Amino acid sequence: MSVNVGDLDAIGIDARRRIASAPDEAALEQLRVELLGKKGGLTAALRGLGRLPADQRAAAGARANSLKAEIEGLLATRAQQLQETRIGTLADREWVDVTFVPNPIRRGHLHPLTLILREVKAIFSRIGYDVALGPQVEDEFHNFEALNIPQDHPARDTMDSFYLEDGKLLLRTHTSPVQIRYMQSHTPPIRIIAPGAVYRRDATDPSHGSQFYQFEGLVVDHDIRLSDLKGTIEYFARSLFGSDRRIRISGDHFPFTEPSIGASVSCGLCDGAGCRSCKAGWLEILGAGMVHPQVLRNGGIDPQHFSGFAFGAGLDRLAMLKYNVNDLRMFLDKDVSFLRQF
Amino acid sequence: MVISLSWLRELVDISVDVATLAERLTLAGNEVERIHDQGADFEGVVIAEVKGLRPHPNADKLQLAAVWTGQATVEVVTGATNLSVGDRVPLALEGARLGERRIKRQVFRGVWSQGMLCSPIELGLGEDATGILILDDGIEGHDLHEVYPADTILVLEIKSNRPDLLCHLGIAREVSAIFGVPLKPPAVPSDRPPMASKLTTIEALDGCRRFVGRLIKGVNNMTRPPAWMTARLRSAGVRPISIVVDITNYVMLEMGQPMHAFDFQHLNGGRVVVRRAHEGEELLCLDGFKRLLRATDLVVADSEHAQGLAGIIGGEETAITLQTADVLLEAATWEPGSIRRTARALGLRTEASQRFEKGLSPALALPAIDRAAALIGELAGGKPTSSVDLYPDPLKAILIEIAPDRIDRVLGLSIKHTDAESILERLEFKIERSDGRLAVRPPDFRLDCSIPEDVVEEVGRIYGYDRVPSTLPGERVPVRDLYERQDADEIAREVLAGREVDEAVTNSLISADGTANIRLPAAPASLARITNPMAETRNALRASLLPGLLEALALNARQDQAGARLFEVGPAFWRGKLDRVDEPRMLAVALHVPSGGAPAALIELRNLQAILATVRDRLAIESTEFRQSQATGFHPGRTAEIVDQGEPIGVVGEVHPDVLAQLDLPGRAVAAEVLFDRLTADGRRVPQARPLPRFPGVRRDLTVVIRGKIASNDLVQVIRQLGGYTLRDISMQSEYQGPQVGAGARSLSFRLLYQADDRTLTNDEVAGIQQRIVEGLKQRFGAEVRS
Ligand SMILES: [Zn+2]
Repeated sequence: MSVNVGDLDAIGIDARRRIASAPDEAALEQLRVELLGKKGGLTAALRGLGRLPADQRAAAGARANSLKAEIEGLLATRAQQLQETRIGTLADREWVDVTFVPNPIRRGHLHPLTLILREVKAIFSRIGYDVALGPQVEDEFHNFEALNIPQDHPARDTMDSFYLEDGKLLLRTHTSPVQIRYMQSHTPPIRIIAPGAVYRRDATDPSHGSQFYQFEGLVVDHDIRLSDLKGTIEYFARSLFGSDRRIRISGDHFPFTEPSIGASVSCGLCDGAGCRSCKAGWLEILGAGMVHPQVLRNGGIDPQHFSGFAFGAGLDRLAMLKYNVNDLRMFLDKDVSFLRQF
Repeated sequence: MVISLSWLRELVDISVDVATLAERLTLAGNEVERIHDQGADFEGVVIAEVKGLRPHPNADKLQLAAVWTGQATVEVVTGATNLSVGDRVPLALEGARLGERRIKRQVFRGVWSQGMLCSPIELGLGEDATGILILDDGIEGHDLHEVYPADTILVLEIKSNRPDLLCHLGIAREVSAIFGVPLKPPAVPSDRPPMASKLTTIEALDGCRRFVGRLIKGVNNMTRPPAWMTARLRSAGVRPISIVVDITNYVMLEMGQPMHAFDFQHLNGGRVVVRRAHEGEELLCLDGFKRLLRATDLVVADSEHAQGLAGIIGGEETAITLQTADVLLEAATWEPGSIRRTARALGLRTEASQRFEKGLSPALALPAIDRAAALIGELAGGKPTSSVDLYPDPLKAILIEIAPDRIDRVLGLSIKHTDAESILERLEFKIERSDGRLAVRPPDFRLDCSIPEDVVEEVGRIYGYDRVPSTLPGERVPVRDLYERQDADEIAREVLAGREVDEAVTNSLISADGTANIRLPAAPASLARITNPMAETRNALRASLLPGLLEALALNARQDQAGARLFEVGPAFWRGKLDRVDEPRMLAVALHVPSGGAPAALIELRNLQAILATVRDRLAIESTEFRQSQATGFHPGRTAEIVDQGEPIGVVGEVHPDVLAQLDLPGRAVAAEVLFDRLTADGRRVPQARPLPRFPGVRRDLTVVIRGKIASNDLVQVIRQLGGYTLRDISMQSEYQGPQVGAGARSLSFRLLYQADDRTLTNDEVAGIQQRIVEGLKQRFGAEVRS
């Protein structure tokens, strides 16, 4: 095969027309392979140069090379045009309605009592408290007697207990027995919280259940004072409910603390003015006091050398306040429509 | 405790407003629960007498009452059904005000009503909205305020250690201490008639700490009680009855000591005995109920039989009547436990029993009876003729010594000694010594103070805890010993929530008989039972969390939430030897598969196994192994035990159809329960980095077809054995059953990773090992290789 100038002209005309009309980048790429690839007419023409007489070879070669350069240039320009068009029309060609959002990925939900306990643990672990656990099936010594609640004590009226068959074991009515167990097995300094389920034979209503959740706090060290208790309660309540809340400490009575106090936090709904969900602007959140010397002794700690404070709160009550739950019974209700709100 | 502010003002000067008074009482530990302005809710309401009643001509539920206003008879329409002719009632005529509302003449179903008769709630005099307030006193035509004068009522919650505060004098003493103003106690004469010990015997010495009696003769019980006394009784919520009874109630509300008055002429033998009841002895009580007594109940009897339940309620036979002339007054101190037990057993709580249960001081009895006897003499004309005071074991005075800095040290503040002493003196503590060491004597009516901390509390609560600074304890913060298992359950919760499982908390108490029988093989078959359950559906402690979770699936399915997926972390209760109950912590998961039958359940079972393996992988070093098994309540062919170092620690499988049927749970369910602390191997996996491989690994897939119930675990073991040290990892990829492998056969795909530390493995080398494995599987299990 030989090459002549007319062939190169035809190749040039054909290439210019086809490059200009290539509809998209894929077609252009295909065209590039066809025109400049190993099987393309121009490559064949260049290959045929060798067979030309020497005097024609140089001119034909120059001619073919300039055509190749021209085609490459045209391809590049057209490629750029096509790219610009493609990017420029993206908004129209690939438009989607981004406001149509199918269900997000379903996740499991953690129980509100878990969530509130997490917060409580985090708040107290920042100031060096450990978590201690105790059995829910208790004996009378740890649940009552060691806490200054002998048989016939009026406090037993408010803590009507479930007894097991043997008549000696009962379901703990509060988390306070953990205080005794922990003191018996540890030496001061002690800083713990003890969360868990407690049980009382109470009629159930929106704020009472026969199974509910408390957490206990206990600090024993040299020279612990009521001011330390007050500061701790304020730190806790403001961490949990917000730094704008006010805390009120009033006198109270528990057999296992002396002096005993109660703590209330200002109502978040009425900011202390008084409303339906609070008592004259205040919400009771916990009972507390300085550990009674006899209770320290019952825990094997000498009240001459150590003092301490203890506090106890209803985890479910805190969760109700924090998460706006108005019926305590919901926590044990197992209804996924409720559980999935958390 | 209901306190009348006007009564309180007679006992102590109050110069602050009611809100401040209530706030300070609350801070001192006597919470004011409610404040109410009595008599402010009505105006222009008069007292009227019902003269006649007739049905409303056009309405079944209404009647027409003709009432006499002292000047005229008017007719009013009423819906109340508690009226009788002769009743005195509050009448609101045109122009009267009830709360915000003005009363007008009005037509009810065609009949004119000239006004309205009022119920307690409409008058702000009680909660009762069902009937008209029937008055015990008052003159027709006079303003209702003559019977219910304007007063402020405070309702206080008194702590159980302070029965001395269940009276106006007690609260007045608190006010005196809080505001530093003088107390004005009532005058109590102490001239007593001679002792007549034969009037009383205490046989039950363990039930009665003190018995003070006074015989008063020649009383005129028909005397009208003075208006100030009946008004105060009404303000305190006590209905006036007759002058003698009113006086005993008045003194109780004033000084805190409950009293009882016997009609002396009806006491057989003219004397009383304190004894235990005879088993089965009957007593007709003042409330009209006949009660059967037990041998543990304490009674006050005459020579014949019981005439009153000591400290709880009197008997009808010797009750005071309008004709009573001779009165035996009793002011006793009963042993609290005995009163509490009897009151509970009979379900009878009275003003008296509530005070005695809390342990009243025996010191209160004598001044109270002196006061009551004087009032009876003054107002009802009686004359005290003899006294009794049996007090076998008098209170011993207590001296409490307090180190000088003790108050400051316990409270964490510095209070002036004079301030502390003045608080104590206002509370009637005697300061015996205040030089260096403080020595105080609590007043004889306070039995709750015996140690220095009690005295510190008195100072603290009156001084005000709001004046205590806020500090945090010590510089010596103990080193926190991270509670590993606590953190482990948080990680488990996150893994489960990430796999679309919701956390539930279910009741520890279940029904011993009605609960689905499904549990870990290791759990005991018999439950720890409750002797005094509140309901038979909650009479035992759960030995497994699964019944509760499966019930929850059924409950949700019934509430249009089929397909619930729940987990719980919490204790099971395993009855152990003797009097022990173990409380192993469990992780339980239950997934409802409402539709899709066996294949869908299989997918969820695989999911659940993967979830458990992931939890373990996050927490423990050991990998998770499942072993084909059986367990109560689980599907016999679709259950695995979870194995830790050769020991079963849990179970996972499809729930048995019988259990589903019992729970009425449609479709299928898969469930798992594991000993949580074993699953996490009691610890926390700490990731350990290894050097990255220097030579590339070679991945090969291996698919074999097997027949029959062969566990892939067994195949994996053989593969591992034959693979040698260059076989680094085996993972199960897929399982197939169907036409491509023929009936009864399964194809299992594994992915194997070969790698050496010292060279790049050649294809031939790997092919040789694969061949060895294939032959081994063929020989052991008859497995055929598929390309
Ligand atoms: Zn509020």
